[in-house]
Amino acid sequence: MRFLALTVIKEIKRRFNDPLGLIMWLMIPLFLGGMLTSVLGGASGPTPKAVLLLTDLDDTFISQAIPQALSGGQLADMIEIQEVSRDVGNTRINDDDGSAHLVIPKGFSEAYLNKQPIALELTTNPAQQISPKIIQDVLASLLDLGHYIQLVLGDEIKLIVDGDASADLSITEVAAMISGKIEKLGPYAFPPVIEVVDETPVPEGQSFNLTLLMFPGVLVMAVVFAGQGISGIYWQDREKGILQRWRAGPNGMWVYWTGLFISSMFILGLITFPILLGGFYLIDIPYTKLAPSLLWIMLTGPLLFGTLVLVQVMAPSRRAGGVISTLLVFPLLMVGGSFFPKETLPDVIRAMSDYTPNGQILEPLKQYFLGTYGLSGLFSTLLPLMAVTIALIAVASVIADRKDLR
Amino acid sequence: MINVSELQKSYGDLQAVKGVSFRAKAGTIFGLLGPNGAGKSTTINCISGLIKPTAGNIKVNGFDIISEATKAKQSLGVVPQELAIYEDLSALDNLRYWGAAYGLGGKALERRVNHVLENIGLMDRARDLPKNYSGGMKRRLNFGCGLVHEPKVLLLDEPTVGVDVQSRGRLFDLIKEERDKGTCVLYTTHYMEEAENLCDELAIIDHGKIIAAGTLQDLRAQVGENDIIQLSGVFNAKKLKAAIAKLKPTPEILSLSDESLALAMKEAARHLPAVLKAVSATGAEIRESRLTEPNLESLFLKLTGTELRA
Ligand SMILES: Nc1ncnc2c1ncn2[C@@H]1O[C@H](COP(=O)(O)OP(=O)(O)OP(=O)(O)O)[C@@H](O)[C@H]1O
Ligand SMILES: [Mg+2]
Repeated sequence: MRFLALTVIKEIKRRFNDPLGLIMWLMIPLFLGGMLTSVLGGASGPTPKAVLLLTDLDDTFISQAIPQALSGGQLADMIEIQEVSRDVGNTRINDDDGSAHLVIPKGFSEAYLNKQPIALELTTNPAQQISPKIIQDVLASLLDLGHYIQLVLGDEIKLIVDGDASADLSITEVAAMISGKIEKLGPYAFPPVIEVVDETPVPEGQSFNLTLLMFPGVLVMAVVFAGQGISGIYWQDREKGILQRWRAGPNGMWVYWTGLFISSMFILGLITFPILLGGFYLIDIPYTKLAPSLLWIMLTGPLLFGTLVLVQVMAPSRRAGGVISTLLVFPLLMVGGSFFPKETLPDVIRAMSDYTPNGQILEPLKQYFLGTYGLSGLFSTLLPLMAVTIALIAVASVIADRKDLR
Repeated sequence: MINVSELQKSYGDLQAVKGVSFRAKAGTIFGLLGPNGAGKSTTINCISGLIKPTAGNIKVNGFDIISEATKAKQSLGVVPQELAIYEDLSALDNLRYWGAAYGLGGKALERRVNHVLENIGLMDRARDLPKNYSGGMKRRLNFGCGLVHEPKVLLLDEPTVGVDVQSRGRLFDLIKEERDKGTCVLYTTHYMEEAENLCDELAIIDHGKIIAAGTLQDLRAQVGENDIIQLSGVFNAKKLKAAIAKLKPTPEILSLSDESLALAMKEAARHLPAVLKAVSATGAEIRESRLTEPNLESLFLKLTGTELRA
């Protein structure tokens, strides 16, 4: 027992002596999670108001749609538009008065309608850091949308412009119409871009739940990456002669495998703890659920290690083991609901989700976060999952023995 | 302490070890000397239980390595030919861990770890990770990990390959120290000098068979007083054979081909000019000549007709 404990400590020490690996297991999910969360409108904070100086040299209803769109809806809180002449705009930016200066060149509408490249001149104020960035982003997304609308609705717009029907429409009406279309199309067409900018609180409900649905996926993603990393230690130890020394020693190989198993629990706890803390804080999950969640991950997380180490042990070489297990990780993450919540997956994939090890860890946790499951619900599958983990590792150890003892 | 009888090991069609038997006693260093591919590692790996013998018996400290593996392995210390250390754990942690693997702990472990660190010359790098060590330093740590627990039986598979001369001397000191404490040391090498300087008893192994065994004196006696003359160049083997047969005293031909010739004879230095003259007379072109006094190498040459360092 003493030696098993030492083995566990030694394994944890090894991971710490190679902190880069640990950091990767932690950072990749955090990075992906952060990206997905911001897309879904997770965090919010005070936004400085940007002043956009606008010079419209084209002065058609399409060019006027740009300021209309920029100041419509929630963007009005973030961007203030002031029409200026070109010279005044330049001077003001140089005097640090305003966030950016946008010049819509003559012939913009024509180019737009004829699906030719459009060049807008945007001069940002280098003295300000955040506000010009907002304008850049909004503009970029707007132009993306504009491009999209041009492709989809370009002919209709042309009809409005050329045909008689337009005679009755005021410029403002058309602008409002386009702006309205943009708003409608926005979430479907380019949600990432438009939503990144949109820092204002989204109405409670769907978006909140989406973030909550995403969070356990990110958490389990860390478990999967760490599991894959730890499973690679088998080959590392084999190639470095460690397994040989073990086999020549008086301690059974079960100590080796149990050491890896138990140490993986602690490593998983260590990696997921900061993610848990951050997530609980951001999504407002009651902290009373923190300890059970951590425990759940520590106890069931090694299932990924078990699955992937079996793959590694069966692989003919270290390279093959690495490649196969990596290739396996991404479909697992996809099907198991780590990239996109299971709820958003097509039926066929959703059905498979329950048969993935990460799905098995993820689902109860998600239900626990959502409040559908209590403690007993969360832990109801604990024993079977742990039993499967131990069985997988045992099979791996037998295969490894066969391989090594020629 | 180590009792190997009729050990055989085949890899498919290849018979790596063909019936090796020997006995290594406590308090001695038993050398297994042989060229590359002779079957040294295969033999030692069978003794440490890493590979299963095809046939034969191995006892370590009285326990069968297969049927009483745990007990047998408890008395073993192994320094494999390939490195076997945790490169992501400091030397200190490696030694502590492998010591603990055999039940050592507390002050005794610390004392022993320090002693080993001293002797493998890694005291000042003890807290560094071996992945940042030089090749020789890793080998030294590999060596230390094998004997940190003061095993009763120590298996050393070419432990000094790639280790510089000074460090090598200290490793030898440590081995002798273990021997003097009563440890049975099995030492494989293809370095003649190592075998001659270090080993109390020796077995010469070639092509999976022991071709000579005994103490250094026993083996030297087998060589007799014959020195060895080795010549290389362009020869006519047939003519050469006839010419050599006519020489008085007649040297013993150990090996002969169109490129090389090895002869054994007493007081070779005195007869060398006559030999060279006779060889030249056959129209041979001599490129190199070498004269060796009786030693293990000449014994190996005598027994196998080939050089150990081939
Ligand atoms: N795993 C293996 N599979 C097939 N053949 C092997 C294997 N290991 C060793 N052999 C063969 O067995 C023979 C003996 O090898 P072994 O490693 O015991 O030699 P050695 O005396 O230790 O040589 P060296 O001085 O190079 O270490 C060689 O012909 C080698 O090719
Ligand atoms: Mg060898």
